[in-house]
Amino acid sequence: MFSKILIANRGEIAVRIIRACKEMGIATVAVFSAADRDALHVSLADESVCIGPARVQDSYLNMPAILSAAVTTGAQAIHPGYGLLSENAKFAQLCEECHITFIGPDSGLIAKLGDKDEAKRTMRAAGVPVVPGSGLIDSDATALAAAKEIGYPLLVKARAGGGGRGIRLVNSAEELLPALHASAKEAEIAFGDGACYLEKYLNPVKHIEMQILCDNYDNVLCLGERECSIQRKHQKLLEESPAVCVTSQLRHNMMEAASKAAKAVHYRSLGTIEFLVDSDLSFYFMEMNTRLQVEHPVTEMVTGMDLVKWQIRVASGIQLPFAQKDVRLRGHAIECRINAEDPENGFVPSCGKINLLHIPGGPWVRFDTALYQDYTVPPFYDSLLGKLIVYAQTREEAIRKMQAALAELVIEGVSNTAELQMDILSDPSFLDGSYHTDFMEKREKLC
Amino acid sequence: MLKRANFKPSRNTLENFGIATAANGTPEQPQIPDRLCVKCPGCGKMLFTIDVQKNDNVCPECSYHFKMPARKRLLSLCDEQSFTEWDSTLYSKDFLSFPGYKVKLKSSRLNSRENEAVISGYGKISGSPCALFAMDGRFMMGSMGCVVGEKITRVFERATQQHLPVVGFTLSGGARMQEGTLSLMQMAKTSGAVKRHSDAGLLYITILTNPTTGGVTASFAMEGDILLAEPGALIAFAGPRVIEQTIRQKLPKGFQSAEFLLEKGFLDDIVARKDMRHTLSHLLKLHEKEA
Repeated sequence: MFSKILIANRGEIAVRIIRACKEMGIATVAVFSAADRDALHVSLADESVCIGPARVQDSYLNMPAILSAAVTTGAQAIHPGYGLLSENAKFAQLCEECHITFIGPDSGLIAKLGDKDEAKRTMRAAGVPVVPGSGLIDSDATALAAAKEIGYPLLVKARAGGGGRGIRLVNSAEELLPALHASAKEAEIAFGDGACYLEKYLNPVKHIEMQILCDNYDNVLCLGERECSIQRKHQKLLEESPAVCVTSQLRHNMMEAASKAAKAVHYRSLGTIEFLVDSDLSFYFMEMNTRLQVEHPVTEMVTGMDLVKWQIRVASGIQLPFAQKDVRLRGHAIECRINAEDPENGFVPSCGKINLLHIPGGPWVRFDTALYQDYTVPPFYDSLLGKLIVYAQTREEAIRKMQAALAELVIEGVSNTAELQMDILSDPSFLDGSYHTDFMEKREKLC
Repeated sequence: MLKRANFKPSRNTLENFGIATAANGTPEQPQIPDRLCVKCPGCGKMLFTIDVQKNDNVCPECSYHFKMPARKRLLSLCDEQSFTEWDSTLYSKDFLSFPGYKVKLKSSRLNSRENEAVISGYGKISGSPCALFAMDGRFMMGSMGCVVGEKITRVFERATQQHLPVVGFTLSGGARMQEGTLSLMQMAKTSGAVKRHSDAGLLYITILTNPTTGGVTASFAMEGDILLAEPGALIAFAGPRVIEQTIRQKLPKGFQSAEFLLEKGFLDDIVARKDMRHTLSHLLKLHEKEA
């Protein structure tokens, strides 16, 4: 087991990891930017090192500074948290070269699964269902033939595409060729690569992900699903487990597919496999995240397992002492993200001093945060203030508990999304579990 | 403000999960290996070696061209699997019993993992066949001894026989003083071979890389039909410090750099490493005889 770990992150996740280390008796090193001198993770850790000015590129993404901090403090491992350097294959490789354990999969796996196209091909070869699509289109004739096979509606996507560019929705055969040519031209101009492919258009669709935990001995555990369809601009707002739409048969199939996916790449460490589930309950592999997720507490609640501790243990080479049959999913958990944004005002980010803070309490109510009274939220980083997580026997009870807890939460000084979360919880389509990824879009249109 | 002093230290001892960790013996202590980073002589920034290597040994910040190992250069320039090496088994001997030469040869071989300071062979650049050679600075600063001279001579002789153009990357500190006059004789020998190759109506392109000096500059390096250089390369017979000390005058800024030489008409062009393959294939195509 490691005796000292450096946490290369900030905010609530750094605090979460430091807490796990304290329980395990592991000494902790926090790193911080000049703007984070008063941050909670800095005070909680046993040691702390300033790694640069406020800008993330100069501090939390400053690889030489972080590696130097690890070497000078004698930390044997680096926990990257989520975001920042957590899925950076180069950083993982540099850690390996410095004989520092990167708490996550090795650099080769990160690179392989980070390439979305290669990941999809690997999964397809392993027999995991992937959204039906064509290879790269080289002529109009092949486009028409491929489109016939996939069926309409479909999406034309540019291989190099990103940020919504090079994507066209096609409803019928007449629209296909003009859309294809437009996408190719757009991608050629924007990315210098006009290669396009076709993909089935799934709508409405749910975003459901499977948590997996693997050790270095090819043991794979699947810890159930999380429903993350409540999103705004691809940012998740609320997550729950289990998902209402997932029947026990579907859960069984998805868990099998997730295990198959993990085994296909000989995955190590904690990971998440994201699936799209369409209205006839077919599911398709979307991508794999090779890190701890923001919404991991939901799975912790329904499994009773501390995922951060297990991630550290398997990274130190410990073999998982239990098998899939020992994993029991019980009850229902919901997580609401409280962001420093103003929903009334186009979600503009907010920052400033926390004048008053009250954190809700009671059984099975958890608030993961790095806030404290009189703390000043800096304007440089992401807007997550905290995550409110509740757990109860049934979904109905969990929703009630969340409503009560949100009402009790007081964060004065910065605008936040607590009120919005209460509205989401009382939305009829949330209550009956029929919501899809377009939930927020539809809601904003109504307002 | 909450400070560390507000919190009590944890009394938990390190958890012993009852299972020994996989690593046998004591794990290696974290340390930053020397080879992990390099300082760019151009802009002074600390760079990760892997970033520089990925970028063809060119600084991603300021485009400073680091020295490139000869083998890496040839393999990255030629079409995949098209390079065949010639005369790889020739190696130098200490026939003058020059003090310290044996040790130097051995350490150069270990350091560069090459038998000599030049690698030659046959390859294709975007489909155009040619004879190639490249010199390696890690082997006694690419100095020209008998073996280097012999290998270069053979490249031209083979190329003349097989009607191939020659593409050569030069990098050298000059003649190898440990081999005395015999190393100077290589200048005449290689020049003769270049002349016969030229008389056969064949093309010879040299790319002068940093640094190309001494006997190499005074022989085959400057004898190309087309003379190219990499940005910032030092190209000289005697180096700037030697000249300054001899003539006791301050030299003009950028003296003997590739850019200076291009301005004075000694070079045909300066080509950045990323454009090298494209430029060479273009030149070779232009000079190919129509079938």
